[in-house]
Amino acid sequence: MPDFLVISAELAWPLAVLLAWLAGEFIHRWTRLPRISVYGLVGFLCAQAFPDLFATEGSSPVTLLANVAFGLILFELGYRVNLHWLRINPWVPVSGLVETFATFAVVYLIAQLWGLPPMTSLLLASLAMSTSPAGVLRVVNESRSSGQVTERVLHLVAMNCVLAVLVFKVIVGFWVFQTSGSLTQAISHSLIELVASALLGAIFGMLVPAVLRHLGTLARDGTVAFALVVVILVAITHAADLSPVLATLAFGLTARHRRVAFTRTVRNFGAIGELMTVLLFVFAVSTLSWNNVLFGGGLALVLLLARFLVKTVSVAAFAHVGGIPWRKGILTGVALSPMSVFVVLLLEQTKYAGIVLVDELAAVAAMTLFMEVIGPIFTQRALILARETAQE
Amino acid sequence: MPLETFNGGTPLTMGVELELQLVSFSDYDLTASSPDLLHLLARKPFPGNVTPEITESMIEINSDVHTKHSELLAQLHQVRDTLVTAGEQLNIGIAGGGTHPFQKWVERRIFEKPRFKQVSQLYGYLAKQFTVFGQHVHIGCANGDDALFLLHSLSRYLPHFIALSASSPFVQGGDTLFNSARLNSVFAFPMSGRAPFLLSWDEFEHSYFAKMEHTGVIKSMKDFYWDIRPKPEYGTIELRVCDTPLTVERAAALACYLQALCAYLLERKEEPPAEDDYLVYNYNRFQACRFGLDGTVVHPKTYESLSLREDILTTLRKMDPYAEKLGGTAALNHLMQVTHMGSDAQYLRDQFAASGSVEGIVDAAVRRFRGRM
Repeated sequence: MPDFLVISAELAWPLAVLLAWLAGEFIHRWTRLPRISVYGLVGFLCAQAFPDLFATEGSSPVTLLANVAFGLILFELGYRVNLHWLRINPWVPVSGLVETFATFAVVYLIAQLWGLPPMTSLLLASLAMSTSPAGVLRVVNESRSSGQVTERVLHLVAMNCVLAVLVFKVIVGFWVFQTSGSLTQAISHSLIELVASALLGAIFGMLVPAVLRHLGTLARDGTVAFALVVVILVAITHAADLSPVLATLAFGLTARHRRVAFTRTVRNFGAIGELMTVLLFVFAVSTLSWNNVLFGGGLALVLLLARFLVKTVSVAAFAHVGGIPWRKGILTGVALSPMSVFVVLLLEQTKYAGIVLVDELAAVAAMTLFMEVIGPIFTQRALILARETAQE
Repeated sequence: MPLETFNGGTPLTMGVELELQLVSFSDYDLTASSPDLLHLLARKPFPGNVTPEITESMIEINSDVHTKHSELLAQLHQVRDTLVTAGEQLNIGIAGGGTHPFQKWVERRIFEKPRFKQVSQLYGYLAKQFTVFGQHVHIGCANGDDALFLLHSLSRYLPHFIALSASSPFVQGGDTLFNSARLNSVFAFPMSGRAPFLLSWDEFEHSYFAKMEHTGVIKSMKDFYWDIRPKPEYGTIELRVCDTPLTVERAAALACYLQALCAYLLERKEEPPAEDDYLVYNYNRFQACRFGLDGTVVHPKTYESLSLREDILTTLRKMDPYAEKLGGTAALNHLMQVTHMGSDAQYLRDQFAASGSVEGIVDAAVRRFRGRM
């Protein structure tokens, strides 16, 4: 009997991933809903049904794999961001700054009115700023969309991620300072971590293209080299308690801007990338508990609605000056709905530093679950309504 | 719908249409962005005319009617700068070139317009494979008879335009070994190739067009994808064999070369066109597409084998006085340079060798179109 239990635990993840993939394929074919919404739902149900089998430690292989999967997605996102465009059309970054900080302010106010402590409200607000690159990028790739909504949403997601990580880390720094009283510890948990992570990514972003160019095998080896370096970056940041989010994003951004013109990195990193995504989405919600979801559900719904409205209105407000129709501006804001995976990994990573925030932020658990399932559907619908998907 | 009356206009006026590629700056693939770009361009006056093309990854621009090279070039510069600025505002790269080197036709979206949808339904995948980019040059003709005379007289010079404009060596990620692979895509259409040999407009209208219309195969001149076709509503003939060059300078030069050739042909000093000229037409066309300036063509009257490069140089020299009279000397000098330096197809192959990737080709094409390199 004990042998059976051990085998079950070892089989739990692969089986859950297989089940999620199958369910994703079937439901996508019947309903055209994004596959990743289904992956999340299956992951949550599995984890609630067999909590012991799906319990993960911070250093478990599954957590590491999920981080690598997320790293690949962030690299791809960074690689698609064109900084030159943000300089030429300043209304895109302006709308990004406004929607991010307006979300922060509104969520903070609501959390305060709800009676949450100031520090919890600040953390909630910083997490709500973010948009999940995993959710958005997967939907964009799945629906093979192209056009202004697609283009803008990808750039805004990158901005959201960077700003959310920065603000979140600064607040965590304050949190550490408040609880430990040590300024050195606080700074090492925020500023140093941020700078070191971004720097690490940027250095790799310069080195890898240089090496590839030297080898003269850009077209053939680019994708493998980038994937390998993402794995290494995640491992290093994991070991050194740095931010894999910033490091992999900075890697993608720098690699893009340091190349002459690389072969296009295979979208989704091919079949292995697909596989990792299923794992990532199953993993992300397996960390949530039903109790937290129920406890934080009410506030989560209010916050999500507020976040949705603020982001949509803020992005739409700059649509016309930014060169697109109002309608596409609104749809860009709507497409920014997903936020879950990013939040989970950020919280997981903070856990390594000895700070457990998930229980403090019950609303985050509920927001994460709702948005992991519903967020991608919003993005998908927005792209379809903007007539930017491949379906005719 | 009966054939429109030929609105004869000022002879030797010229107009240019260019089909252009819309490229994503994130991966240099084509991007389905024409509705966005057209929306932005509609907000300000455009120094010409811009219209959607069959797939959403293309647009077409038209110049006004011009008589002089300098005026045409000035307008094309203005058009290009407006396009590039709008493209940059939307993170879209704009490029010439007859084909996109690695786009997959299956990923293209048909533009939301009834005619394009009908074409797509009739031709199936050919419509999406028609994501190729050409330059069309219109030359004004006094009447329909002159138009048909020029159309058939020009058949002998067609390889010149193919070789000089060739800029589509890569298709679906690979080198086709053709200099202009684009024309192979056009050839798949049933109504492509050469026009029937008729020299009288009256005969063309009643003996040919009316019959064809009666068969139900065609409804208007738009249904013909001929290499050169008359355009009665504009009072022009339209040369359609050129790939879109990588620069507007070359586009203007090609238009002025055609203008000078027409001026020369209208003097009727050459032996008049004959049906037998078409015996070598497809072979010569193939040589120009496959080998570009290095091709060998057969003279339709003498059956003599000629180096295409030499034939072009000889003709350019012969056109000098006509170009001078029309203000197109600079245009001919530009083309003279092309025969020495190589065509855009050669440039694209060089870029592939230098960058090691097909994306490098597109990057170079986008920068070359801007005229800032």
